[in-house]
Amino acid sequence: MKHAIHQLNKAFDHRVRLGVMAVLMANDGVSFNDLKETLDLTDGNLASHVAALEKVGYVQVNKQFVGKKPNTTYTASAEGKQAFQDHLSTLEKLLRQDG
Amino acid sequence: MKPAVDPLAQLTEIRSIMERSSRFISLSGLSGIGAGVVALAGAAFGHWYLTSHYGEGGFVRLMEGSTEARASTLPFLLGLAVGTVLLAFAVAFWFTRRRALQDGRTLWDGAARRLFWSLAVPLVVGGLFCIQLYVRGAAGLVVPAMLVFYGMALLNASKYTLDEIKLLAYTMLLLGLVASLLPNYAFLFFALGFGLGHIGYGLLMYNRYERAPRS
Repeated sequence: MKHAIHQLNKAFDHRVRLGVMAVLMANDGVSFNDLKETLDLTDGNLASHVAALEKVGYVQVNKQFVGKKPNTTYTASAEGKQAFQDHLSTLEKLLRQDG
Repeated sequence: MKPAVDPLAQLTEIRSIMERSSRFISLSGLSGIGAGVVALAGAAFGHWYLTSHYGEGGFVRLMEGSTEARASTLPFLLGLAVGTVLLAFAVAFWFTRRRALQDGRTLWDGAARRLFWSLAVPLVVGGLFCIQLYVRGAAGLVVPAMLVFYGMALLNASKYTLDEIKLLAYTMLLLGLVASLLPNYAFLFFALGFGLGHIGYGLLMYNRYERAPRS
């Protein structure tokens, strides 16, 4: 049988992306700044990883204006939530295989 | 070959991030103890003032007294209530800020904002409602209503902080209901709920999460 490690989702093979998804699983509509503070990241670092998650359709971007200030919030898409759950199950499977 | 992924570490980190981002965990037990002490002091001062103005059992006499007597005491009671709440909030804020700084966490994040609003809305509505109860002659229901509204506010806020706060919420709700049966003991129930309730919760939280583990 193929080792479960090969079933791990490539979209989540980076700590930051995993972190972003974890925050979005627990909260709806998180702003860029809140995301940045919670995960303790720089603007550029977070932006590139969020863009990667957006590209595969796991994260939805909502752009709004509060007065004249742009306010961007992020939400995990249904697809993203499913993929994240699958990723968690695979991690648990890995634990059982190794343990 | 050992895979280059540590699933246990990943799962632990994911869990911690989800917890940290959705719940406010810096609330210090000392905040509860401090707020409780302030509430006890406020209750003692109010009791002393009413006794010195209306004699023994001052609050009961005031409750059953004339509309004029209640109206003339309203500014004092309102001032006392607002003063006690502000002082208790300031003390609670100070200890919680100190803890957040010690742990290197942001104090005012998304979870803190949600916690604040989930508490603030029921509390403001409850406060206004209590003023109406008092003005309209149901002064005996003010303290029970305070306890019930506060219990509801805590229950509402429990989604955004550690679960132990539910214990405090249920205590307040139970005391509020019992207090509504015994309006003559309003000050006692106020002191029990807002004073001892907070102190008990604070001690529990402090012992569980903040006291340095004995080596």
